[in-house]
Amino acid sequence: MRGLLPFLASRLLRALVALWLVSTVVFVVMRLSGDPVPLLLPPDAPRSEIFRVRAELGLDRPVLVQYAIFLGNVLRGDFGRSIHFRQSAFRVVAGYLPATIELGLSAFVLAAVVALPIGVLSAVRRNSAVDQATMGLALVGQSAPTFFIGILLILVVSLNLGLLPTSGRGDWRNLVLPALTLGAFAMASIARLTRSAVLEVLSADYIRTARAKGVSEALVVVKHTLKNAAVPIVTITGLQFGTLLGGAVVTETVFAWPGIGRLAIQSIYNRDYPVVQCTVFLSAVLFIVINFCIDLIYGLLDPRVRAS
Amino acid sequence: MAEMTRRDVLKMAAAGAAAALPGVVPSLAHSQGTQKRELVVAQGGDVAQFDPHMSTSSNDIRVSFNLFDNLTSRRPDGKLAPGLATEWKLQGQTTWVFKVRQGVKWHNGDPFSSADAKFSIERTYDPNAKMRVSTVFTTVERIEAPDAATLVIHTKKPDPLLPARLGFYGGQIVPKKYLDAVGPDTFGQKPIGTGPVRFVSWTKDDRVVLEANPDYWGGRVDFDRLIVRALPEMAPRVAALLKGEVDLITQVPPDQGERIKAHASTVVSGALYGGLYVLAVNSGRPPLDNPLVKQALSLAIDREVIVKELWRGRGVVPSGPIAKGDNHFDPSLPALAYDPKEARERLRKAGYKNEEIVIETTAGYMAGDKPMAEAVQAMWRDAGVNAKVEVLEYSVRAQKNRDKSFKGVWWSDPTSTLRDPDGMMWRLLGPGAPQDYWRHPEFDELGNAARFSVDEKFRADAYRKMTKISLEHFPWIPVIQPYEDYGLQKRVEWTPDPLQQLEIRRFNFKFRRA
Repeated sequence: MRGLLPFLASRLLRALVALWLVSTVVFVVMRLSGDPVPLLLPPDAPRSEIFRVRAELGLDRPVLVQYAIFLGNVLRGDFGRSIHFRQSAFRVVAGYLPATIELGLSAFVLAAVVALPIGVLSAVRRNSAVDQATMGLALVGQSAPTFFIGILLILVVSLNLGLLPTSGRGDWRNLVLPALTLGAFAMASIARLTRSAVLEVLSADYIRTARAKGVSEALVVVKHTLKNAAVPIVTITGLQFGTLLGGAVVTETVFAWPGIGRLAIQSIYNRDYPVVQCTVFLSAVLFIVINFCIDLIYGLLDPRVRAS
Repeated sequence: MAEMTRRDVLKMAAAGAAAALPGVVPSLAHSQGTQKRELVVAQGGDVAQFDPHMSTSSNDIRVSFNLFDNLTSRRPDGKLAPGLATEWKLQGQTTWVFKVRQGVKWHNGDPFSSADAKFSIERTYDPNAKMRVSTVFTTVERIEAPDAATLVIHTKKPDPLLPARLGFYGGQIVPKKYLDAVGPDTFGQKPIGTGPVRFVSWTKDDRVVLEANPDYWGGRVDFDRLIVRALPEMAPRVAALLKGEVDLITQVPPDQGERIKAHASTVVSGALYGGLYVLAVNSGRPPLDNPLVKQALSLAIDREVIVKELWRGRGVVPSGPIAKGDNHFDPSLPALAYDPKEARERLRKAGYKNEEIVIETTAGYMAGDKPMAEAVQAMWRDAGVNAKVEVLEYSVRAQKNRDKSFKGVWWSDPTSTLRDPDGMMWRLLGPGAPQDYWRHPEFDELGNAARFSVDEKFRADAYRKMTKISLEHFPWIPVIQPYEDYGLQKRVEWTPDPLQQLEIRRFNFKFRRA
């Protein structure tokens, strides 16, 4: 336990630096990318009107002053007012979060539940028909663009078979196709990595020893292999989780899913600085928290990590 | 349990599939009409907010024109009809008197009066209110509401188009008492109007739910609920229509129209856009300062091919800078000519030295913008013009529009907001206007005189002359006046609007009932 506190402290410090860097980069990039005011006003608005709105939004002040105000506000949890929605940026983003979490979590659960057993099975039955078929599918899942998978599912499952709604958010039926589309890539990555991690462990000396001792194959896989193969699997699974929760622009757009990915893109087009900053900041927090959890899990799984 | 045969299994699967195919049932019912009480509309983007004076975007006005009423109402046939004003007349040169409809109630039950109208119009240009439509009523000097049924608007100079201005964006009438009580932010989230539908709920980037206003002065609409969904991608939008999940979709591109027409229960309905798609020209930049070069560029565009191939016939070739359907459109003018030989000749006369001419286009901001830019580039190259396409992101285009920094020619889709050249050509090309890259003393004089004249004969003559000048100097190179197509269920009877409104009032929308 003695090593835990410094470990946590150093992690926290790194997380804070990462957050500061992320928010600064977003701030600078958004300012470099252009002015929101011409997008807000009709095309025939006179210049005086443009200057008036710029002043109203505080965009006429020096960039450094804007930056200082921005940082001060972020420290107090205030991301400013959305230029487009005319309400608190945090409230806007928070309104989109449940949809994103619902979709991200479903996609993740679907991906993990399908991919982990398939990965293990492919490794154990290496070069069998099952292995070939599942890894072939995984290759498709990893290489087919999300856009393509999404539209294909809509056309085949919704339109031709008439089984599920084409788009929008509602009950569980609305969730199936977007979760499958979004989860496809993660599912494929996790399955492939699980397979190679398990294969690597299966060829280790201690597995040969276990088999030589007469341990049953099932026990070899479950007890001796899985735990040792867990570190890379947890890493990739955790990272995929972060990615899925960070909003999925393409899936959300194809299925008209009201999540933060679409919000972020729309806000970038609208140059809605406060909303973009808030979305990126929250996504970064999420990612950092997940990474932190992965680190903790490493420690639980592998005593060597704790020792170092 | 008895063992199931393979035939049993197949029977069960068939029954299951039929039960899981809800689309089949409504499509059978189409021929006999529908009992539907809910109208579902899908458009390409969500509403930003509901305050009608805070936005001019088409996704917003499709909703705001139905939540609110204007004093005058622009019908899909292009004519101006009574709205919250029952009649109006011009007294002298600068005083417009409106008789305001009596017995109208706001959605919360408050009575509507001329004071609301006065408040609404003044609000658009009140610098403290900071509205986004502050340029609509710049001709107004002051407004009086002497009694609940009368509104008097004094203009700075004669303004023949004031009733038309009141019929489009900026002219929606908002409730003074409610706005004073809740403030603009709450109003933008929970609006109250006098329109045929009232606000129920809004899930951002998903749907807006509205319900019929049972006491609407123009008659209750033919449904109980209106749901406006945001479906950004075209393919899923069309799929939702074909599956019967939605009744009406907007912005159908010509290639998707065929699919919708081929389906048993859906149709395509279009309105000729109240405006033009033009290549606007930076006439300040050589060689585009030479009228001969611009004439050659216009002559080198084969517009028939663009209409036929890229738009599958869903458009017409313009004859000049005034849109078909507008006041003072001259039907006797021939469509703009294609003559590559003459184009080469004029380039030679102009002394054109192969200078690069840049076509700045967005990809998807305007329907067909990039493919059309590429087609024009090829046509210009064929005529010996060194043309180059550059693709811009939409917000970069907006920035360039503001800075007036376009390099050569760029796409513009001017909307004829007043269905009159003043609201299009003069609004955008006049001195100090957003596309002021070219000045011509006679053009300016005529445009200014026509704006402030209440003599329609004089105005007609002025616009005829301005058209002639513009076809010599080409501040715009008009390319196409397209149809704006919508996909509809056959159970829907509805006429689309040339100005991108979604008119669902009783006179324009009904379900075919069983």
